[in-house]
Amino acid sequence: MRTALLAAALLAALAAPAAAQRLLDWSEAEVALVGQHGPWPLPPARDASNRISGTPVGIALGEHLFNDARLSGDGLMSCATCHQAGRDWSDGRARGRARVDLDRRTPSLWNVGYLHWFGWTGAGDSLWAQSIRPILDPLEMAGSRERASRLLREDKDLACGYERAFGTKPDGDDERLLVDAAKALAAFQATLVSPRTRFDDFRDALVAGDREAAARYGLSEQRGLKLFIGEGNCNACHFGPRFTNGEFGDIGIAFFVRPGEVDSGRLGGIATLAASPFNLLGRYNDDPSGISARRTRHVRHLHSNFGEFRVPGLRQVGRSAAYMHNGGFATLEDVVRHYSEVSPDRLHSDGTPLVRPLGLSAQQSTDLVAFLRSLDADPPPRPAPSPLCP
Amino acid sequence: MRLLAALFAFFFANAAWADCPLDLGRGTGLVIFSDHYMIAFRPDPLRIEVGEPFALLFNVCTKSGSAGELVAVDAQMPEHKHTMNYHPSIVSKGDGRFRAEGLVFHMAGHWEISIDVRAGEEIERLTHDYYIK
Repeated sequence: MRTALLAAALLAALAAPAAAQRLLDWSEAEVALVGQHGPWPLPPARDASNRISGTPVGIALGEHLFNDARLSGDGLMSCATCHQAGRDWSDGRARGRARVDLDRRTPSLWNVGYLHWFGWTGAGDSLWAQSIRPILDPLEMAGSRERASRLLREDKDLACGYERAFGTKPDGDDERLLVDAAKALAAFQATLVSPRTRFDDFRDALVAGDREAAARYGLSEQRGLKLFIGEGNCNACHFGPRFTNGEFGDIGIAFFVRPGEVDSGRLGGIATLAASPFNLLGRYNDDPSGISARRTRHVRHLHSNFGEFRVPGLRQVGRSAAYMHNGGFATLEDVVRHYSEVSPDRLHSDGTPLVRPLGLSAQQSTDLVAFLRSLDADPPPRPAPSPLCP
Repeated sequence: MRLLAALFAFFFANAAWADCPLDLGRGTGLVIFSDHYMIAFRPDPLRIEVGEPFALLFNVCTKSGSAGELVAVDAQMPEHKHTMNYHPSIVSKGDGRFRAEGLVFHMAGHWEISIDVRAGEEIERLTHDYYIK
């Protein structure tokens, strides 16, 4: 017995330095920067502009509507047609395909409830307003307010779910019912929170000073993370626990969607936002304090908005190919190559440019991709939606 | 200590400013001044977070004792030469007090806050460097 204990102690003594060697040196400043990317998960998202946000009955109604193709004009397309649970709430395609082929990629819905601008150009200032857009867009679901309201009034289960969620029976106000349907859709989508990852385990261990636990994170991943928060300056925009500051940037992707036609990005998004009857300055905002509308009230039109697109979060990024707003890159390796080789001539900046060619070595590129893949994790299986009114 | 002594000397030499209220409700704010103006301000909430909207509360005082007006507030990152993505609005609270709403520092780093004030025809710009991590 004593021999066995001695052997175990010797093994432990040998293993400890080996584990310690697998942890790179992290300065106090670096630990602070890494710490900014957590903890994860965040508290559940709540939207003051949506009175059923976070309510179980609202979420249940939203999940049923999310999968209901009757919201579309031809009854063939639901939200889940493009935002598929099995494809990380996207469609796995370079660019979306609805009634026609679209010009932009279908964004994943992971962690969408934490955003403050929605869609690639921020044309929506709430998740519920954004949820109305594809329903009404003739290129996508091609539905209508009349169709959505009729569905809520005439389908027995949905009408019951509506009454539970909103406290009243669906009435004859078609536009309000469309908005309420969108608020239920938003309540459901806000529950789509990505799981913890190996990065989160490393981050928590590093911040807690647990070197042994931190050393379980791969060396290549650690080197990639150091690049991400250091020389690469990726965290300037991919900031915080969601790895996005939620704002917009021009990273040198081509403007043209086809010869003679450009995608103006955020510039057009702000114009669409201002013209929308569903923005947070309108009558459908449930937040009497007005606080939820602060960004909308103060958003600024800038010439530099042209060609800017929303900075996507990076959680589950390795599972969400293709990349960029136009799906122009098929792999993470392509993305890293872009940042390594992007032409300074394409990027207009009066000061020190935020995006510049990093000139990464092959090893550095590999490390950066390894780090990005450590932000992925398998989500737990989803149970089938529960009946609205059993 | 040297800073306090300098402030005392400054106020002694500019008696009209001695009445300028520097307390903005939750302790004394930041103070900047020029030949004509002294401005106290603080953020609300007190801690500015990257990407989160905040307001700035101001007391604008003039050396002459005449009413000062806060005309505009803005901020830019000097290194990158870009402004905020938001345009603050200003509400006067009376007695030289103002609230600028709708500021967002969307990136960590060095921001230069510019504060335009006037107490007559001419607008004067005062600036303050703010570092956010």
